[in-house]
Amino acid sequence: MIAALETAMSQVPYSMAYDAREALLKDGLNALTAQHYAACEPYRRIIDGYWKGATNAQSVDAVPYLPVSLFKTQKLMSVAPEAVRVTLTSSGTTGQAVSRIFMDAEASSIQQRALASSLMHVLGKKRLPMLVIDTDAVFKDPRYMSARGAGVLGIMRYGRNHAFALTPNLQPDFDAVRAFLDDVNGEPFFMFGFTYLVWINFYEQFRDAGLDLSNGILIHSGGWKKMIERAVDNIQFRSALGQAFKLKKIHNFYGMVEQIGSILLEGPDGLLYPPNFSDVIIRDPVTWEVAPNGTPGVVQTVSLLPHSYPGHSLLTEDLGVIETVDAGINGWMGKGVRIIGRVPKAELRGCSDVIAAAA
Amino acid sequence: MTAVIWNPAQESVEEEDLLARIEALKYAGQSPLFDSSGKLLSKISKAILASPRARAAPQYVALGYWLRAAALKRMVADFSAKHLSENGSLLVPRGLALHLPPTNVDTIFVYSWALSVLAGNANIVRLSESLSADTEWLVDLIATVVAQSEESERHVFCSYSYGGEFEKKLSRQCDLRMIWGGDAKIETVSQIPIRPDGLSVGFPDRKSMALISAEEYNKAPAETRELLATNLFNDIYWFDQMGCGSPRLLVWIGDGIDKSKDLYQRILSIAEGKNQTVEAGVAIGKIAFANDLLAESIGTSACHYSNLLEVTDVIDPALALERTQGGGFLMQTNVEKIEDVAAFTSRRIQTLTHFGFSEAALNRLAQSISGRGGYRIVPIGQALQFDKIWDGVELFTHMTRRVIIRLN
Repeated sequence: MIAALETAMSQVPYSMAYDAREALLKDGLNALTAQHYAACEPYRRIIDGYWKGATNAQSVDAVPYLPVSLFKTQKLMSVAPEAVRVTLTSSGTTGQAVSRIFMDAEASSIQQRALASSLMHVLGKKRLPMLVIDTDAVFKDPRYMSARGAGVLGIMRYGRNHAFALTPNLQPDFDAVRAFLDDVNGEPFFMFGFTYLVWINFYEQFRDAGLDLSNGILIHSGGWKKMIERAVDNIQFRSALGQAFKLKKIHNFYGMVEQIGSILLEGPDGLLYPPNFSDVIIRDPVTWEVAPNGTPGVVQTVSLLPHSYPGHSLLTEDLGVIETVDAGINGWMGKGVRIIGRVPKAELRGCSDVIAAAA
Repeated sequence: MTAVIWNPAQESVEEEDLLARIEALKYAGQSPLFDSSGKLLSKISKAILASPRARAAPQYVALGYWLRAAALKRMVADFSAKHLSENGSLLVPRGLALHLPPTNVDTIFVYSWALSVLAGNANIVRLSESLSADTEWLVDLIATVVAQSEESERHVFCSYSYGGEFEKKLSRQCDLRMIWGGDAKIETVSQIPIRPDGLSVGFPDRKSMALISAEEYNKAPAETRELLATNLFNDIYWFDQMGCGSPRLLVWIGDGIDKSKDLYQRILSIAEGKNQTVEAGVAIGKIAFANDLLAESIGTSACHYSNLLEVTDVIDPALALERTQGGGFLMQTNVEKIEDVAAFTSRRIQTLTHFGFSEAALNRLAQSISGRGGYRIVPIGQALQFDKIWDGVELFTHMTRRVIIRLN
């Protein structure tokens, strides 16, 4: 584990101010670039061919970045194949290429520690009883997509005495939810689910059931596509759940399998904050220069976690904007980010009709 | 099931009604190069060239000029009246032609149809179920002129779903089927039989490249370089570089390719001057593709000139040409002499555009690629120009038949 990451993780999560973080990340990211350059041949060829070789970046925004789609097209690992303990894949519909992320034992323990420190910042040090806004079939039934099941299982380790709010058909399980609330008996508890399930299958089904979730802490994540279709934004989401369930402690997060363990977590002002060991850079989609704060652009994420694969600096296909820097509300420091959506899918069609039947 | 017919405006129609319309098409009694067919195309040419919408789009201007009476006459000169009955044989139309143009290179359907009109055939043009606004405009324009010229009984512009009974019944009527656009489409469509004596011609996936003599480029004055850059710009950016003839690989022949940057800077300025833009998603795709080529050892170094132009040096042009990335992405390589191009000219290669070579050199090139691939050797700037010979197929010949006449 690189020294800069140790330093970042020794601080209170989400507490590092921009300047101190920048200095630490610069050293750490340079160390990771050098490490992956030496250990990952395709990455070395990219750095030599596209970035004129591995030089020490003078600032975080000068660190070379890879388009995140490269994890779909290439096999990128910086450890010996026999050292790989887990291969993570992204969600994707049948026939679509998926990202493959290779983790050895060290990388895997680093990402678990990092994720734990982020979640404990809002959940507290003790593991809480947990209500999963999903069905247990999601990881028991192989017909479900692996990524959602893996996501639920990954987060479940941060709670105890799990209950599941939905049946295998994603219908509300009133009995299970009431039994869970009777058990916790006024103590704090943890809720987790994918944003659209929380809204469509939980909120819309349970809103008139008179549930009191005022002791709950909800963490949710996942695409906003279905929410945009319903014209629900984060502010409406928070206020609706507050009104229906007296649920006030709500934290959205933004993360991706290609930088697993680094999650941007929603702070008290509703913005997303990168943890101490990572940061967000917004780039102008025409010049690729760093966009001024307040100006939307393409999201680049940097993180000190990826030790076993060259994923420490990634150009995503998401659009975002930096709203504040070092706002400091309740000690949350660094950049406050809003994710706006996806870069529109671009399709170039030519002489060759890809699917004859659809043409 | 419903289908769409241009009548001449687009309307929804039951498949059986469309079939009845097709069965009623007239194709008897018109000879190849019949006067009325030339007049019809000439009216379409005028309508296109008179439209402000076309004047803003170079591919429509090119189409308008191509359809002018004089240009068509020149093109089919080989088949002019005195040849129609030479050697005791008479050229006649093939009959009913079905054209299946590609989804997005939206002028192909006109070229395919127009040559078939000249051949004297009755025609069905099957258009994509999702047309761009530009294509819709073009189909509307042509269908309107056809109707005004009282030629609607000979030509049907329509859209229907592939894979159904309707396609089978329709195909059974056809004497000629022109399938444009991709291996997979040709394979699927070809499973449906046409008339037993019919002819089905497929135009599969192809890739193209540009060849430049480094020595001639280095010697060329600024005006010549600027003109070359303009021509290359057109070849690359029309159809988003996704046409079969759009250059993907630029081959510098001979020594001194240090000047390549000069050419790319010129192309870039022209693109900027014409307010060419690239969507962010395409730009990210191009950066990722350059990274892919490097990661896979096909490329050695890459230069991001801007979102408009990405250039990657490749050491394995054959592998590089198997991949597709449009929207302003060039791969470049360097060989000693023009014959060396043969090494990576496979069956997949369609057009080789050129700058700075003698006729003798181009003949050596043609010799060296013969039996390997390559169908057109034309100057840079003509990569996308439609020709009566396409992918090695004499279109007009295939669109007609010959009747032998012996006196004794």
